[in-house]
Amino acid sequence: MPSASNLALLLGPAGMVLGAIVASMVGICLLVAFILARRALRHRRFRQREERALAIRGSWEAIVSGKIPPERWRFHPIDREIIQSILLDALEVAAPEQAEPLRRCLRRSGLLDAVIYEARHLRGWGRNNALLALGRTRVPEAIPALAECLSDSDDVLRQDAARALGRIGMPQAGVALLEALIGEDLHIPPAPLQNALLNCCRAEPRVLIPFLRRANDRVRPVLARVLGEIATADLGDDLLLLAADPLPEVRASAARAMGRAKPKSALPALAGLASDPEWFVRLRAAVALGELNDPLGIPLLIAALCDANRFVRLRSAAALARHEEHLGEILGLVRRTGDRYAMQALISELERSGGILKLINALVDPQQREISREALLDTLRAGTQRLLLDALAHHGNWRVRLSVARLLARSDERDLAPEIERLAGASRSPREQRVMRWLLHQLRTGGAAGQRTERVPA
Amino acid sequence: MIFHFLTTSNHVLFVYYLISNFVYLFLLILAFFSSAHHQRRRASTRLERLKASPLAPPIALLVPAHNEEKTIVPSVRSLLLLDYPELEVVVVNDGSTDDTLPALIRSFRLLRTDLLYVSEVPTATVRGVYMSQIEPRLLVVDKEPGGSKADAVNAALNAASSPFICVVDADAILERDALLRIMAPVLTDTRPIVAAGGIVRVVNGSRIEAGELRSVRLPRRPVEILQVIEYLRAFLIGREGWAHFNMLMIISGAFGVFRRDLVRKVGGYRANALGEDLDLVTRLHRYLREQKSDYHISFVPDPVCWTEVPSNLRSLGRQRARWQKGLLDVLWKNRDMLFRPRYGRIGFLAMPYHWIFELLAPVIELLGYSTIIIAAIVGVLSREFFLQFLLFGYAFATMISIGSVLQEEITYRRYNDWRDVAKLLLFCFLEHFPYRQLQMIWRLQGFWQFLRGDVSWGKMDRVGFEPRPARN
Repeated sequence: MPSASNLALLLGPAGMVLGAIVASMVGICLLVAFILARRALRHRRFRQREERALAIRGSWEAIVSGKIPPERWRFHPIDREIIQSILLDALEVAAPEQAEPLRRCLRRSGLLDAVIYEARHLRGWGRNNALLALGRTRVPEAIPALAECLSDSDDVLRQDAARALGRIGMPQAGVALLEALIGEDLHIPPAPLQNALLNCCRAEPRVLIPFLRRANDRVRPVLARVLGEIATADLGDDLLLLAADPLPEVRASAARAMGRAKPKSALPALAGLASDPEWFVRLRAAVALGELNDPLGIPLLIAALCDANRFVRLRSAAALARHEEHLGEILGLVRRTGDRYAMQALISELERSGGILKLINALVDPQQREISREALLDTLRAGTQRLLLDALAHHGNWRVRLSVARLLARSDERDLAPEIERLAGASRSPREQRVMRWLLHQLRTGGAAGQRTERVPA
Repeated sequence: MIFHFLTTSNHVLFVYYLISNFVYLFLLILAFFSSAHHQRRRASTRLERLKASPLAPPIALLVPAHNEEKTIVPSVRSLLLLDYPELEVVVVNDGSTDDTLPALIRSFRLLRTDLLYVSEVPTATVRGVYMSQIEPRLLVVDKEPGGSKADAVNAALNAASSPFICVVDADAILERDALLRIMAPVLTDTRPIVAAGGIVRVVNGSRIEAGELRSVRLPRRPVEILQVIEYLRAFLIGREGWAHFNMLMIISGAFGVFRRDLVRKVGGYRANALGEDLDLVTRLHRYLREQKSDYHISFVPDPVCWTEVPSNLRSLGRQRARWQKGLLDVLWKNRDMLFRPRYGRIGFLAMPYHWIFELLAPVIELLGYSTIIIAAIVGVLSREFFLQFLLFGYAFATMISIGSVLQEEITYRRYNDWRDVAKLLLFCFLEHFPYRQLQMIWRLQGFWQFLRGDVSWGKMDRVGFEPRPARN
């Protein structure tokens, strides 16, 4: 009987194809078998694991207190995996007084030492998992092992170590990260690094300052961005220095920090940043001025509203819309700039945020009536009629509708006549129709002196 | 002479077929490694931390909509519900003649605004910009019909303000954490990622409520199931493999993230492109290679976008003809990139592959069927060899398809039901006849239409995302 290789030689190209067919068929069978077997095995494994987890949860108190000696579960892989997982989950949600017994269990059972050992000596996925587990323990003993991994050649491991330090969330962990960043030129993408630093330095943002002073141009924007999120008012002087930094990213972060921390020096510093040559620094300054919500910042925001960059204008408009009690004055000031785009940006924001509706409602408030009226006339002149017409036709308060009618009559906006005519046609009550007819008459005869009356026939 | 031609052509076709399949086998093996690496990275990133992070860069979702009244409101609602800290949704009503815009105005209390719209990338005339009174993250741009999706996306691009953009089809559903999943690798990669594509899966057959996917099931119709396998193969093997070597030529128009500044730099989407997604990625490669920039265009296999696929042969045929036209349009326009050293591996590997094994595949396949049959009839080809070759082709292609199901099974496991997996495996054996031949005909139609100058999109019948009864 010829061997398989002899048969292939005898058959020539056909033999090769035959071999390929057999190989493909075997491949298909193996793939299908693998898929089916994997499903079955996973199902079995998960069932076993659930049963074991249930049993462990039943004796959880005894495990944590040490009544069940750790030797009974430490060397059983599935039990150890389950207990470690439950312990770390519990630590994440535990209040400080609940966390202490859990940490004691972690230390006394030798689990912490085992994880530290794995973080130092394992390779691949195992080491990744150990690093992440160490982060979840939130114990200071984990910091040196994690700091060592920051200089590993594998970038996934470096990132995991940084994340784990972030999860520990202690200033010491932050210092370890910062030292690696400044001293050893740690290479990690900014996002995981910044998130880790944010967690570590949130309680003590001052930790960042000495490192910021020493940082080079690559690192300084990264650290400044973190400080931008967590700065406190007592860092005012340091923020002033950052506001004068040569790098625009750092200046933008300084503006962000000023908005968050609101130090005393914020307004003058933001005044400088609002006229920065870089648009994104001006944008951050406008947002920060909005967060300060200080009426003294209004002129700066109005200047920013006339900025050449539309994003700066939009953010300035949003910041101005927060000054609800000064909207009338703001609209007047913006009108005086003569900048059509600035007025459009502001009115759009006021429409969206409900500012125009507030002005309309204020028409019946004797103290605010005059300012609101002037402001609404400004918006009308800028071409925004829709909300006023809506209020005229549908506002729930009849007095507001009358005030809007008076305002429109005063406006001399004759272009409104066809729309008012349509509204008059759609009016349901005689009272509404009388008001609409009166308004129409006023608009049509508006130009003729002596024919206008302030009295609405309602 | 004719015998010689037939013999030579059969040899060439045999080699062509072997290369094409071995490339796919290579990509399959590579995809297993790539996705294992991705899983390792992914295991380290806690998405909820990214979600809570104030440092996540804002993303603008660009949603072109043309006559999408059935799906637009639930789609926009589901987009606004996505987990991401800084989100902006820009919908473009591209001259719809149905109730797309009124439906949006009613549902989101839109107000026409005088917001300044700067047409940095030229588009058809914009009629108005609308902002929502109840949802500050939503912006709707109403424009004259531009005749293409690309024109609508460009209008959205002009209105967007975030540093990253993500183009999403109005009839697509993104999983709640899709943006976090696609951005997590972008933010943690040491390479400078300029664009990333997610996976597009078939929604037909799954249960959707209020614009959200409730349970994943296989569709019922065979034509839809076959497309599920095709999508798995194309995304989990093809794109994963190409992206590994930074040679990804397409990021699906249904779901992809791009750096906005770069998209603007290359002039946005080409308005008259038939395959605007392929065109954009090709132009990004061209621009970045010309600039000698260090960049990476990546594929992220776990953020999922669910999309409705054609459920009848007529719609499917039109779609495939359009895809073929798009491919031809883009490859022809960029033919100067072929074998030019400045375009590196794109010019020497990716582009030639797409010319030979994608664009010309239906022509070569037709030629193959014809010459093999003629050769078998006139006796140049041994009938046994012909049958063996046919069987080998069938078995090899089936193995690749099963490989894609395995890849799905060991990594992302969206189809949890045993019956669905069994059905998928069964259809891996059935897709080669007559579905494959139909595909060839549709693609040849696309070829012919393009050569005749017919560059229309054709209409796709949609069922919409109304709640469908769940199957047990």
